[in-house]
Amino acid sequence: MAKGRELKGRIKSVENTRKITRTMEMVATSKMKRAQDRVAAARPYAQALRDVIASLYSSELAEQFPLLRQPTHVRRAAVLLMTANRGLAGAFNANLIKEARATLARLDSEGVTVDLHVVGRKGAGYFRYVGRAVASARTDIGDRPSAEDAASLINDLTDAFARGAIDAVYVIAPSFKSVLSSPPTTTQLLPVQPPEAGALQRDYILAPDAQAILGALLPLYVRNAVYRALVEMTAAFYASQRTAMKNATDNASDMLKILGRTYNRARQATITQEIAEIVGGAAALQG
Amino acid sequence: MLNVSVISPEAVLYEGTTDSVVAPAFDGEVGILTGHAPMMTLLGKGVLRLGGDGGSGQRFNVDGGFLQVVDNTVRVVTEKASAA
Repeated sequence: MAKGRELKGRIKSVENTRKITRTMEMVATSKMKRAQDRVAAARPYAQALRDVIASLYSSELAEQFPLLRQPTHVRRAAVLLMTANRGLAGAFNANLIKEARATLARLDSEGVTVDLHVVGRKGAGYFRYVGRAVASARTDIGDRPSAEDAASLINDLTDAFARGAIDAVYVIAPSFKSVLSSPPTTTQLLPVQPPEAGALQRDYILAPDAQAILGALLPLYVRNAVYRALVEMTAAFYASQRTAMKNATDNASDMLKILGRTYNRARQATITQEIAEIVGGAAALQG
Repeated sequence: MLNVSVISPEAVLYEGTTDSVVAPAFDGEVGILTGHAPMMTLLGKGVLRLGGDGGSGQRFNVDGGFLQVVDNTVRVVTEKASAA
């Protein structure tokens, strides 16, 4: 029964794999829930900032802020790509990298010099592999990105933009729409796309004045956009890992079913053959 | 009574009612009582204090951000906030 033993070994190994993928699925599920909570918790702040900027913004003020400067010609741009530190999440990182390559190709064809900044070990690893120079690579941002992480990522870029050293900043990150859908998207972070200007409805007392408040809040707005991208990336990563691990577990179960059937058939065949041999032997003795 | 919310990028730190708010504005402390005129001000660094009635005298360390008062609703939006 050489074949039977071989099959048994395979069944054992698939069972072990399924145990691992099932555990990973459960871990990813609970981490995803926590990450989703963080996405939800980040919403009121973003909303409050957006409200206030929209109510203070007016196009006359716009020219005075370096972050709202709309360059007529983009010569140099920064692209901030967010990937995960780990894999085993289906096509999650691959999709982000694909989106990044498309954006880079588009910018290159427009004659823009691109500084590529990468977050996450997977993205950094890919661009090292293809030999494209990256301006910076961060792999130290973990499961719980903080507002400080976001600040440390973007502050230099904001300064460079305000100085005029770069003319645009793009962020590539998954936009966490739901657990099942988080398509990678490229968004323009700088120059800030001013929110729909809603006129001040009330006679606010403004201290010090609209211009100063707007000037102080715009960097906060930019930092918050990066923070949200980080948080959504984490949530999307675990969602995608969960799906991948669920598929792996299901596949392992299917495989076990087939292997089990094959094994039983082989076992039965052996037994039948043995009985036939005994019956044959007994018949020979009687005869 | 004032409806107060203290909001940081990571979470809503406080949401509830209180009778007074003392906030560290960019140019010195500002006190807000019920019926305050609509106001928007930048915050500096310091301690945000909620009144004893309802707010149970809670304190938060804040640094930057802004405070908005409208219709007895106070929103404190700050990048760095922690319970003190």
